[in-house]
Amino acid sequence: MPVWNATNVGHLLARTLFGYSKNDLSIALGYASYNYLLDLTILKDVPTPAAPNTWVSTVPAASQTTSGETGTWYREFNYWWFNLMHKEGLNMREKMVLFFHNHFSNERDKVVYPQNMYAQNVLFRKYAFGNFKQLVKEISIDPSMLIYLDGNNSRGAAPNENYARELMELFTMGIGNYTENDIKQAAKVLSGWQVSGLTASFVPARWYTETGVTVFGKTAKFDVNALIDHIFDQKATAEFICRKLYKEFVYYKPNEAFITQMAAVFRANNFEMKPLLKFLFTSEEFFTAVYIGSKIKNPTELMVGTSKLLELPSPDYINMYDMSKLLQMQLFQPPNVAGWPGQRDWISSTTYSYRGGFTDSLITGKRYNGVAVTGKLVPVTYAQTFMNSEKAVEFVDDVSTLFLAFPITAKKKSFLLDTLLGGTIVKNWSTYLPGANVNLQQFFKAVMRLPEFQLC
Amino acid sequence: MKKELTRSEFLRRMALLSGGVGLGISGIPGQAYATLPAGLSASVSTGNVLVIIQLAGGNDGLNTVIPAENDTYFAKRPDIAIKKVDALALKNSMYLHPSMTGMKSLYDQGNVSIIQNVGYANPNRSHFRATDIWNTGSDSNVVLEEGWAARYLAEKYPGYPISMPLHPMAVQLGSVESLLFQSDIGRFGTVFEDPNLFYQLVSGTLADDEIPPATLAGDELAFLKQISSASIQYSTVIRDSALKGANSSTYPATNLAKQLGIVAKLISGGLETPVYLCTIGGFDTHANQLNQHANLWKQISDAVAAFQKDLTTQKIGDRVTMMTFSEFGRRVNQNGTTGTDHGTAAPMFVIGNTVRGGLIGDNPNLTNLDTNGDLKANFDYRQVYTTILSDHLGLSTTSTSQIFQKTFDRLPIFLNSPLIAEAGVKVTLLDPAPNPASGHVRLQFAAFEAMRVELALFDMQGQKLGTIFAGDVLSGTYTYPADISTFPAGTYLVSLAASTGSRITKRLIIIN
Repeated sequence: MPVWNATNVGHLLARTLFGYSKNDLSIALGYASYNYLLDLTILKDVPTPAAPNTWVSTVPAASQTTSGETGTWYREFNYWWFNLMHKEGLNMREKMVLFFHNHFSNERDKVVYPQNMYAQNVLFRKYAFGNFKQLVKEISIDPSMLIYLDGNNSRGAAPNENYARELMELFTMGIGNYTENDIKQAAKVLSGWQVSGLTASFVPARWYTETGVTVFGKTAKFDVNALIDHIFDQKATAEFICRKLYKEFVYYKPNEAFITQMAAVFRANNFEMKPLLKFLFTSEEFFTAVYIGSKIKNPTELMVGTSKLLELPSPDYINMYDMSKLLQMQLFQPPNVAGWPGQRDWISSTTYSYRGGFTDSLITGKRYNGVAVTGKLVPVTYAQTFMNSEKAVEFVDDVSTLFLAFPITAKKKSFLLDTLLGGTIVKNWSTYLPGANVNLQQFFKAVMRLPEFQLC
Repeated sequence: MKKELTRSEFLRRMALLSGGVGLGISGIPGQAYATLPAGLSASVSTGNVLVIIQLAGGNDGLNTVIPAENDTYFAKRPDIAIKKVDALALKNSMYLHPSMTGMKSLYDQGNVSIIQNVGYANPNRSHFRATDIWNTGSDSNVVLEEGWAARYLAEKYPGYPISMPLHPMAVQLGSVESLLFQSDIGRFGTVFEDPNLFYQLVSGTLADDEIPPATLAGDELAFLKQISSASIQYSTVIRDSALKGANSSTYPATNLAKQLGIVAKLISGGLETPVYLCTIGGFDTHANQLNQHANLWKQISDAVAAFQKDLTTQKIGDRVTMMTFSEFGRRVNQNGTTGTDHGTAAPMFVIGNTVRGGLIGDNPNLTNLDTNGDLKANFDYRQVYTTILSDHLGLSTTSTSQIFQKTFDRLPIFLNSPLIAEAGVKVTLLDPAPNPASGHVRLQFAAFEAMRVELALFDMQGQKLGTIFAGDVLSGTYTYPADISTFPAGTYLVSLAASTGSRITKRLIIIN
């Protein structure tokens, strides 16, 4: 079992949660073992949250788009999810919901109705720690997915190949493990579905009429479930999803030997997520020191995580929603069916600059363009929650350690100290100085403007 | 291409680029550089510009350049075929999509070269893998992690990343940097949506000159520092060029037109960036494709026409060429949801004042398909890239061969591109462009060996009205702009007589 210490526990929280506060870290350390921490809180099943509003069960209608309700509801849906993330405590469920949203990428631009995307979000939450094979079966006939990848109205006689291709390429097996003919045959099996409002129904007359089709060399009269079972019998499938989990939670360049181990665990547990995650998060591999601080935070981790870190009681979800678009991670609007590629693709000249603008805004109460941000930091009050708030050097140390997974040099620390002191000397520093508020603002902005802050 | 330094050494050194803004800067937020940091190389001389337009999703080539006289086309696409009477006639039974009126008028002026049926062997039908192939310029079965434009830029800016040129090496309008500009030694692209906003955003960025450690996390930090340094360095020159530059024509209110408008303004304002990337998405037309596809091509066609007009009015058009590409074309057969599934080859458009204009290649064969029911490509996409690198951006054939790790025959896309000699043919006269013409016309011929030629203009009665050129030529392509403003409207003949014995005649219509 990996060493139990604050660095390792911080690493585990950084990867399994949307960031953490110093209080979160001290609660986590109270569990005193990885088994307890994972079983009793991080991987624990928690109650299903109440829906954002009653619109989730209204039948989708074109009128809601012309009336502007669709847009309003998506905003509510976003705020609701941001709030679940912000209030996640020490539980990983919402992180897994986002993982699945990214994995089974659907775009609101094409799905249109938030009701359908909400139902899909509920499905992800249901299976966050559940059976992945069952999730693939259900997602294959999920109305949002049927709309998004054109399973809706696909007929066996002239099937639409869109879903069949992405099912194999992106959702289960990965490129190179199937043929174009496998796609064509699977497309027949997946035909026959029709979406009406909130539900999808199977219309036998629209299904394929052949006595059987051949997929990966096996001929049978497959239906959706049998096809998914057959896909999960292929060796590539367990490895593919394990590789994706590894890249998301450990390091973006996979260690294939370890992925083989993960896949064995996954198969042995009949594709249940929880034992796989437990295996991953108690492995020596996960806690290998070189991986700590090697992940570039995704925009949701950056926005929600910084709000958690700064202990903001009610962060501005409107700000987060608007900034999520600029930072290229608008929820329910991934760039395409492959989802967000992550890591270095988050960063361009533009998005890097917007990240700094976002962290500044939590301190200044203003966005990059001057729009007001509510719920901003009260720097003196926050600083005083640190034990060493009155000792400048120690305070800079404590904040750097908590804020930055990547240790900074003495030179950078001395720059941060100078920023904090703003002309006064160490001996005279106090959060009760008349100018302390301004100094602390500058200081917190500077810490979060360091490129190291983008890593976790 | 392989650099001697290891990748991590490069990353270490790259971080040094941020020198200039020290750690001790007073006051946060910091300021963008007022003066240029040390270590900048002298500016690369103003040259030609390539504007790449990516059509994301897989453009349906058969409904773009339409074989509207082919019964098989109508049989395979009963619900989505576009009729001859609706389409815009080009030549040899090829028609443009009806919404491409802007493109058609540029084509009529000789400013559009359309290369038919472009693809590669063993085509990939995954959006992501196929996009990577087009961006990296690889064979289907080879995975490259560097963009072909990045490899060109590495050649053009050998000092990078140790020293950076004054102007951005590549600009992408958008937010997420394309693989096209990425390489092992760093990223070549500066990515933004609006020059002024970009400048404002960068003004709070901090930089330092520390070298990150040689660890996995250190590599990511070095990467972040490289991006922040490049942003600081280039935001000012981009903003200044945008302020100094202008647009002389009105652009439609579409996203692509906005992107092209910014590109025109930056070029006009003196930005020396050689490559730009603009993007338009929505081409993955699996269902109900007719309206969507029409709308997309209207957007492209109108935006491109506005851009071309703008550049020409500002007299900077000769330096700029646009090229479209998409990750694949679509299936010949329509599917059951009045759309098309992923396919293979499709046409590419190369647009500008210096292109030869016209169609290269014929309509694709709709009956000789691959086992999947898809088109077999006629040209390799890297023939187009090679031609542009060579004939527009001035690279040697040695360099283009290095970039693609293979030699590709060029295509007659540009006026200075070599024509392709057909068996037994020693000399070729091209169609006059534009035709009909008014004021000026461009006449072009190619000799495939040394010979004596006379290029002359005749009336329909066979009377010689004037000699345009007479003399000895070596093997090569020759272009003659002719002033025809004094000729009355009517039909004329352009004739090329060669000492090889051949005489070639083309009809020219002059209008006033």
